[in-house]
Amino acid sequence: MSTVTKQKRAVAINPTRSCAPIGAMLATYGVHGALTINHGSQGCATYPRHQMARHFREPIEVATTSLTEKTTIYGGRDNLIAAMENVYERYHPTMITVCSTCLSETIGDDITGIVDEFIEGHPDVDIPIITVNTPSYIGTHITGFDNFLKTVAVDFPVKDKPNGKVNIMPGWVNPGDIREIEAMTRKMGIEGIFLTDYSDTLDGGIYRPKPQFPKGGTTIEELRDSANSLATIALQKHVGGEAAEIYEKQYGIPAYTLPMPIGIENTDKFIKTLSKVTGREISEELRDERARLLDAIIDAHMFLTSLKVAIFGDPDVVEGLVRLAAEIGLEPKFALTSSDFKPWGEDMMKLSDELGLDMEIMMKSDLHELYKKIKEEPVDLIFGTSKGRFIEEDLDIPLIRMGFPIEDRFGYHRRAIVGYRGGIYLVDKITNAVLAKKGLVVSNTLLEKPVEGAD
Amino acid sequence: MLLKCDKTIPERKKHIVIKGENGCGGDSSGCEIACNVPTTPGDMTERGCTYAGCRGVVGGPVKDVIQMTHGPIGCAYYSWGYRPHLADSDFHMKYIFVSDIDESNIIFGGEKKLLQSIIEASKEFPEAKGVFVYNTCPTALIGDDGKYIAKAAQEKIGKPVVFFPCEGFRGVSQSQGHHVGNMTIFDTLVGSVEPEEDYAYSINIVGDYNIKNDEKTFEHLFEDMGVNIITRFTGNVSIDDLKIMHKAQLNVVHCQRSATYIADMMREKYNTPSINVTLWGISNMSNALRDVAKFFGLEKEAERIINTETAKIKPKIEYYKKRLEGKTVFIYQGAPRAWHWPDLMRELGMEVVVAATTFGHEDDYDKIFKKVKKGTLVIDNPNAMELEEIIETYKPDLFISGNKEKYLAYKLGTSFVNGHTYETGPYAGYSGMVNFARDIDRAINTPVWEMLREKAWPVKNNSNPEVV
Repeated sequence: MSTVTKQKRAVAINPTRSCAPIGAMLATYGVHGALTINHGSQGCATYPRHQMARHFREPIEVATTSLTEKTTIYGGRDNLIAAMENVYERYHPTMITVCSTCLSETIGDDITGIVDEFIEGHPDVDIPIITVNTPSYIGTHITGFDNFLKTVAVDFPVKDKPNGKVNIMPGWVNPGDIREIEAMTRKMGIEGIFLTDYSDTLDGGIYRPKPQFPKGGTTIEELRDSANSLATIALQKHVGGEAAEIYEKQYGIPAYTLPMPIGIENTDKFIKTLSKVTGREISEELRDERARLLDAIIDAHMFLTSLKVAIFGDPDVVEGLVRLAAEIGLEPKFALTSSDFKPWGEDMMKLSDELGLDMEIMMKSDLHELYKKIKEEPVDLIFGTSKGRFIEEDLDIPLIRMGFPIEDRFGYHRRAIVGYRGGIYLVDKITNAVLAKKGLVVSNTLLEKPVEGAD
Repeated sequence: MLLKCDKTIPERKKHIVIKGENGCGGDSSGCEIACNVPTTPGDMTERGCTYAGCRGVVGGPVKDVIQMTHGPIGCAYYSWGYRPHLADSDFHMKYIFVSDIDESNIIFGGEKKLLQSIIEASKEFPEAKGVFVYNTCPTALIGDDGKYIAKAAQEKIGKPVVFFPCEGFRGVSQSQGHHVGNMTIFDTLVGSVEPEEDYAYSINIVGDYNIKNDEKTFEHLFEDMGVNIITRFTGNVSIDDLKIMHKAQLNVVHCQRSATYIADMMREKYNTPSINVTLWGISNMSNALRDVAKFFGLEKEAERIINTETAKIKPKIEYYKKRLEGKTVFIYQGAPRAWHWPDLMRELGMEVVVAATTFGHEDDYDKIFKKVKKGTLVIDNPNAMELEEIIETYKPDLFISGNKEKYLAYKLGTSFVNGHTYETGPYAGYSGMVNFARDIDRAINTPVWEMLREKAWPVKNNSNPEVV
């Protein structure tokens, strides 16, 4: 029987969450030719750029209104107007996202009003400028992404002829995940509109001459056309779930909020939903992938069954990973997120009941707390981001890196953990970590160190 | 001069000067450049905020205190472990602490939560010798009295609690944060204890942050010479060492942007003399040893060390020089490295053709103009578009800058070395110079650039209209 716990401390020590603006910046990167203006202190743009560059190893460009002491007294209007002029005239982007910060929200700038004023004063400006509220003191980094999607759902879609496509909201994932989801839809002969698609913009190639904007991304036309799709599938409840509901209410498109497609059953749900809303059969290719994942799990089960695992990260990612862990015979003992999303705790309890797990579901918690728990009650493996590195090092427990950010290893942003193929990647990765750690591998069997029963 | 990409922001003209043109003399007389002023709004500047300068640069390297951010989660999260100011401590760089203010704190105030956070954190980590509290934009705006809370907390936990008023919106760049860090440490810690030891032949190394263990490359040289280092401000330093900084006979100032403040304040209050040095590069390092030696009358010892050390690295440097001779460099750093490093490039047979700083002041640019040759482009606080135009126009063989600019350089097919956090490092001292040369050689002479020039495929069937 699992329990939900919530941290009692006021101080956060090594949290697994950051603040909202980076979410809006990431989502904007998924629209071709779009740029973000961050309305706040320079650090509010520079820090997230730095963080994203460490994870994606790509140039990350975000404009800032560079608010200073004076603007905290007189307001940031002039800076924001000047910033929009600057970005529009020099870059000619396809769209501008203006996101707020603690600073601009606390001084009470009416950002939407200032944007309207700018558009009225500039009849030549023919691109959409959207505003997303992202004060750092509300929610987490995923809140910024979620708020962006809600704004898009309200502002962009234009009802027209049915397009036969499916809107897909992958959520806060990696470029490799989006590519895998796109590949799965393609294998069923379905075309998706991705809200949004940063698979190529944040994992791009070398082109000479360098294009002004990175290749790829969802187009503004696709955003407009998203009102005419067959359905909207949100693959993260907390990043896109509510936006999908807006599509249903405003444009009459059915909304499906599914668990993140990690592992067999969650991927099945996604594939079956695709099949249901389009009437298309599940393709042979996908059936083969599923069969190979099952084969991998069977091949690995003697190494993995009943090992204990601690999982931390963003709410939807953790939920998906807990199910995958259970599917491959691991025992999730701790599932931690820094967020304070009540429904997440309830969903996790339901999941735990269904799977018969005995774990501590840690809400609004942090990695220092997890460290202390693991020290008391050791686990064999940890799933999470690079931020768990110090637990891995101190307690000598393998950390299987997944999620955002991975800043101390190479190429993880290209790998998919979603879909059947993502499942195979995870099974391989996890099994290899166990084999490398545990001892002697001979003839496809493992001799664990120290030898059981020996002195 | 005005770059093509800046047509609509003509105010940028004053920030871009070519040495030897338009009143800026080839002898660097009359070279004036606009700097240390607010960024043009909407620019993709590489500048950070005052909090970043204070927490990330000056306060963060102190190894045995709880690094507490008073504010929202993001400011703390982003300052976690990205700057390699290493220390010989198991506690250092591993943790971030944040009062994690939420919407209700914005309305009702965050003071109680800060006090509680300090008390809890110090209970969790009794080995910590104090607490540094950094203020952020929203907690400053709502009027939290962090200084008062720090005082109250100090009485409760019985250890120093130092409050830094470094909210992000103060100043025009992170440079203001360095200043706040210097002033706060000087006012609250320096001279707070008076040990009765003998401090003859003692110095402080001021303005070195032990990036990738830089200090390991030069500390032993000073010590071999017969000089003791009391305090490192602030690389690999204990809070206890900051308290006795005033006992040193000489301040040896390396970063002359972020740490001159404390040397000046110490001269005023304690009559501590200071000398400016550059601890990167062969001749610079030798000059630093000579200057310190001269102060203490240890000239002979200095020459002995210089001879041994330079002889050790000479063959290696000559090897790299052969491979790098004639290459051109665009160097873009926070500030002082842009004038420290042209000497190093010359020692490797290379020449700086563009120099830029993120937050340099007038004195930094004066030094840059003196160090670079005629025809060099000097630019203040460049934005992303300017960087791209300059790289495409000047086509430097090497771009030295930071993590954010690295991948832009790569997309443009330009060799790059991270001068902020170093590729491998350390880069200071004699042995560091060999590391620096090796990293530059790796960056320039790796085979991928050849593939790019000769073997890249033309883009076919490209749906992206911007790609030619």
